[in-house]
Amino acid sequence: MHLEYFKLIDRIVDLDVAERTITVEAQVPKENTIFEGHFPGHPIMPGVLLIETMAQASGWLLIAMTKFQRMPFLAAVKEAKMRSFVSPGDLLTIEAGIVHEGSGFAMTSAKVLVGGELRCNATITFGIVPFPHPDLREHMDAEARRIGFPQQAVADD
Amino acid sequence: MSSTFDQVATIIAETCDIPRDTITPESHAIDDLGIDSLDFLDIAFAIDKAFGIKLPLEKWTQEVNDGKATTEQYFVLKNLSARIDELVAAKGASA
Repeated sequence: MHLEYFKLIDRIVDLDVAERTITVEAQVPKENTIFEGHFPGHPIMPGVLLIETMAQASGWLLIAMTKFQRMPFLAAVKEAKMRSFVSPGDLLTIEAGIVHEGSGFAMTSAKVLVGGELRCNATITFGIVPFPHPDLREHMDAEARRIGFPQQAVADD
Repeated sequence: MSSTFDQVATIIAETCDIPRDTITPESHAIDDLGIDSLDFLDIAFAIDKAFGIKLPLEKWTQEVNDGKATTEQYFVLKNLSARIDELVAAKGASA
């Protein structure tokens, strides 16, 4: 995780476009200024960042499903539940799947696990639009390479 | 009115917390009921699920933006219900 740059996903572990599921990993840093304030003596990962992490994992799945032709933007978060603390140094496994694929929008179900234990989950809605700027598309291509996006998963049949 | 309208009205009432008796076939989802685009996604989700279709929101929006259609054609509820019936029929024909 590069918290300062909001790059919360480190690695794609599994991407199955046919099954519409994705699994990614994210390493929570052991030290970060965020933990100095959240909270002194009891550092924990802020829930909003866990929601963003689930959104980014879901987003990679949606980008894959559109073959990098469209960009998902967070539109709504429902039933987000922070079930137990996520601490500095935790290795997160994030699993996401499609709940509904609409016209120009999609809903996903995502969860964060640490050591196989569920820590939080949410249902997330995205608006899906053509990339609004070529720089963003280039950025996402670079990010895809950084996190090991399996290009064969979206290759034309 | 059709059962399609009744189902749509119920979906809108439950999704957007709008009194059911204020929703009529002549209601415009946006102009009369005040439903915004984000809330309409929840309605589209519920309609897609209930009728086993995929409302072509992107196509409709494009047509409105291009001046080829009016919002009334798609978002007045009697018209929306008619579009849903067409989509259901088309799905049945292609099945």
